[in-house]
Amino acid sequence: MGIVLRLSMRNLAASRLRVALTTFAVLLGVSFVVASFVLTDGLLDTFDTIIEEANAEVDAEVRARSDFDEVQFTARPIDEALVGVVRAVDGVAAAEPATQSMKIVPVRADGEPIRTTGAPILSFNWSDSPLDPLTLVEGQAPAGPGQFVIDQGTADREGLVVGGTYDVIGAAGREPFQLVGLSRFGDANSLGGAILVSYTLDELQRLDGSEGLIQWIAVGAEAGVEPDVLVERLEAALPDDVEAVTGEVVVQEGQDAFSGFIRIFGNILLGFALVAVFVSTFIIANTFNILLSQRVRQLGLLRALGASSRQVRASALVEALIVGLVASVLGLGFGVLLAFGLRAIMDALGFGLPAIDVVMSARTVVVAVAVGVGVTLAASLIPARRAASVPPVATLRSGYRFGAGEGARRTTFGLGLGVLGAVGMGVGLFGGIDETVLLLVCVAGGAVLVFVALSMLAPLFSSPSAAALGAPLEHLPGRRITGHMARGNAARNNVRTASTATGLMIGLALIAMATVVADSLKASVRAELRSTLTADLVVSQSFGGNFSSELVGELDAIPGLAQVAPLRFGVVRIDGTETGFTATDLTQLTEVFDIDVREGDPASVADPGHVIVTRDTATDRGLGVGDPLTVEFAATGVQTLTVGAIYTNDFILGDYVIDLSAWDANVDSRDDGMIVATLAPGAEIAATDAAVAALADTFPNLEFETRDEFRERFEGELDSLLVIINVFLGLAIVIALLGITNTMALSVLERTREIGLMRAVGMTRRQTRSLIRLEAGVVSLFGALLGVVVGLVFGWLAVVAIPESAIDRLSLPVAPLVWYVVAATAAGLVAASFPARRAARLDVLDAIAQG
Amino acid sequence: MAEPTTTDRATAPGLSLERPWAARAVGLAKVYGQGNTRVVALDRVDVGFEAARLTAIMGPSGSGKSTLLHCMAGLDQPTEGQVWIGDTLISDLNDRKLTLLRRQRLGFVFQAFNLVPTLTAAENIDLPLLLAGREPDAEWRSQVVESLRLGDRLHHQPDELSGGQQQRVAVARALINRPDIVFADEPTGNLDTGSSHEVLACLRSAVDDWHQTVAMVTHDPGAAAHADLVLFLRDGRLVGRLEQPTATLVLDRLKELEG
Repeated sequence: MGIVLRLSMRNLAASRLRVALTTFAVLLGVSFVVASFVLTDGLLDTFDTIIEEANAEVDAEVRARSDFDEVQFTARPIDEALVGVVRAVDGVAAAEPATQSMKIVPVRADGEPIRTTGAPILSFNWSDSPLDPLTLVEGQAPAGPGQFVIDQGTADREGLVVGGTYDVIGAAGREPFQLVGLSRFGDANSLGGAILVSYTLDELQRLDGSEGLIQWIAVGAEAGVEPDVLVERLEAALPDDVEAVTGEVVVQEGQDAFSGFIRIFGNILLGFALVAVFVSTFIIANTFNILLSQRVRQLGLLRALGASSRQVRASALVEALIVGLVASVLGLGFGVLLAFGLRAIMDALGFGLPAIDVVMSARTVVVAVAVGVGVTLAASLIPARRAASVPPVATLRSGYRFGAGEGARRTTFGLGLGVLGAVGMGVGLFGGIDETVLLLVCVAGGAVLVFVALSMLAPLFSSPSAAALGAPLEHLPGRRITGHMARGNAARNNVRTASTATGLMIGLALIAMATVVADSLKASVRAELRSTLTADLVVSQSFGGNFSSELVGELDAIPGLAQVAPLRFGVVRIDGTETGFTATDLTQLTEVFDIDVREGDPASVADPGHVIVTRDTATDRGLGVGDPLTVEFAATGVQTLTVGAIYTNDFILGDYVIDLSAWDANVDSRDDGMIVATLAPGAEIAATDAAVAALADTFPNLEFETRDEFRERFEGELDSLLVIINVFLGLAIVIALLGITNTMALSVLERTREIGLMRAVGMTRRQTRSLIRLEAGVVSLFGALLGVVVGLVFGWLAVVAIPESAIDRLSLPVAPLVWYVVAATAAGLVAASFPARRAARLDVLDAIAQG
Repeated sequence: MAEPTTTDRATAPGLSLERPWAARAVGLAKVYGQGNTRVVALDRVDVGFEAARLTAIMGPSGSGKSTLLHCMAGLDQPTEGQVWIGDTLISDLNDRKLTLLRRQRLGFVFQAFNLVPTLTAAENIDLPLLLAGREPDAEWRSQVVESLRLGDRLHHQPDELSGGQQQRVAVARALINRPDIVFADEPTGNLDTGSSHEVLACLRSAVDDWHQTVAMVTHDPGAAAHADLVLFLRDGRLVGRLEQPTATLVLDRLKELEG
């Protein structure tokens, strides 16, 4: 073993505890990265298997032809009679009609409808054919009217028993059904948290309101007939607007649909993981820097004895390499555990994730090691460089300052990086980049540079800041002297204070930014709701699903309601791009929404041939009232509509609105996505409330809300999202706190003699402890404040950059920000407890003898 | 002062030499700070250390004796002047070459913090060779270890050794590469009388038995008495020399200097 490696190993062994803390910081970051991969891969693997097994017997599928990428809003049913056509095709062994609905809700014995936390309630038609992925595990299959089967997982959870009678809410409202059996999907009890319910085809169509229509036909081939051949024959027999695809294609599409969603989820996790890794980089750099600076005399001795500066640098880098490798390997194991933990937590929160197998792909291992080793090495580059430049005389004279004389260079470099980062962020946010990846690289890369630059510039003001922030400590009752000294210590080493605070700064900056953006979004939506939505009642499905249009009629019948306007949401293709649109009753539109019409009159173009567009769209496309707009519908293909009016406020409605008559002419579905209604002038509030409440009872799956309730629910959802984001960012804070623990522990070591002296002249253990804690508190407060300031700036930039249609105002949530700073400072005090205890336990004589 | 000094010979470095110099310097100056804080540690000193002799450097605190040693050893950059190790002019060497020179041709013994605490005694002894990636000469190594009576201490960590033992390990390390010259900076400064004597005896026998060259800074007349020659420094200047010193003679001379 070479002397360089030997020295590195011994040095690591000699400062085990510090190294362990550093390793832990790297390990946390690596584990998070690994967990996001393992969870994503595991889920992909599981869903792939589920979908494959579910379609194992399907050789071909017949369905409506569509070239739209978006499927949920463009799906069209086909005629049930096609089943006969398919069965008659040569080579077809079996053909099973299939339909599914998300509009039917079973009700528990206690009268509460079954709810999920995000996944839909999927209703299928039961068939005993092997083409059906559902298998019966208990009882019987639904064989006639009034019978249903539900998946075992849901039955267990919701307390449904076979043989029991439960209400089911369908298109026509509540009616009693009997639970005749329990089912399972493939090998899984559940499908991504979805609730699976089965009826006979006739019952399902009636409950869904789609009599005579089905969504697809699953086809099994006779032995010896290749799927390709089968598809060809089917295509020949079917009408033009119906297509046949092989089972393989169906599986692939299903897997793609899931993988897209899972990948997005995985990438978000990965993003948080990278934030954690980034923060740990600063912790590592700081720790190595302190460790090496404490070894200055040894470094000088080595140089005096003939070690080249390269050898000294190599020795420092090898130390980092070992730490990185150990952290990566441990991180791989820890990451797997974390993945399972995350899955369990999300499952418990109702996201209904299936059990996963450990999928440890080569990519995961490579990335884990690359991140662990790369980050540690990168972080130790500068400390190692400093170590290499320690002159031999450093071993002979005390007072050599590690990394001395870098101030000016660091400032210049920091300024350069800061400018570069700001430009990157500027280009990303305001450069009009369409490419998502490029945009992310610009913004995230820019932010990273800005953070690095700040950490380099912070030493310029860290000492006076710490002194200023610590000033109140001088007046702490009974702790004046410790307060005074803690303040001095926090201000003593400007570089160290700055780099210790940096980790906390990054974490808090991101949290503050997320909070500012969320608060601004809330404020914008609140203002939009107030100014745009003039309706008094809003009916919607809490998960954004559709519901039967019969409800409009029932609401219309309530005398206290004046306008009742349904909203339907669809997708069309304009100029090759799929874009959302809204259909509503144009004659009522201006009564329920204040859309600020600039030109034309929506009510006068309530016919199938017109579309109204926002002013932005009109400007972009050079449209005026009376101009033609070519729109492609999934069902009816290319249609030319005439622009009938131009409006400004796109809240809820979006850029294109057509009349219900135009919808009916071009879209198969008759379902509504939302209903807005206004109170009639002089309506009896109590009577109207009661009538609406009665309807709400019949449709417990729908939300009947006043405008304020609608807004509060929206804000509540936003708040939950913010909590989740902040919890994930909290990991970065934990790592930053580890850094504070580490730095304080190293400082205590460095000041052993000093602490011994103070103990000798009468400082109590208590005072010693509070001295260390208060210093950490001051440093944390500095980092937290800096972070919040940076976060405010980032948040403000984000708010300016986000299109006005989403966020049009800046709102500063003062209370949460203050609370974050207080919490971070308190956490810093706690993080210093361990080093504080160590300092207090030092033996006075030993401590003085050292140095 | 009627004593002749070494400066006579050192002022003419190009001339043939009566005795080979292991190290010498011409016009060596070292100035710290600027303006009001300017301190002249060495004031254009000409000096040489003869091969196979033990030369002691003495002087009051602040006389520049340690600075002289550091500059001669290439540990510190002189402000002015030239330094030779053997025939090599080290003032011209870059950091890499200087490092190689230290590794191959110089040995060091310092007052304190002499050993790498994470390495064993044996590893510390071999350190210069290990750094150079060379194998120790087994015979020489065992001679050195035996002569310094370290045989049973080789696998101990420095903190398991007494001060005297630590310093003997340092001497062994300084000798391991048979250097042109060993620079010892107050090698007994931190030791009790007994340990001091051990260490000095080691240095003495290195010169007598192996013809090694040692230059030693010390403030202890007793230590200086082990030398063949004592050079006296005051205010950054060489002010005297004493051949075949004894502790008493050295003390007298020091009193003269300080008085």
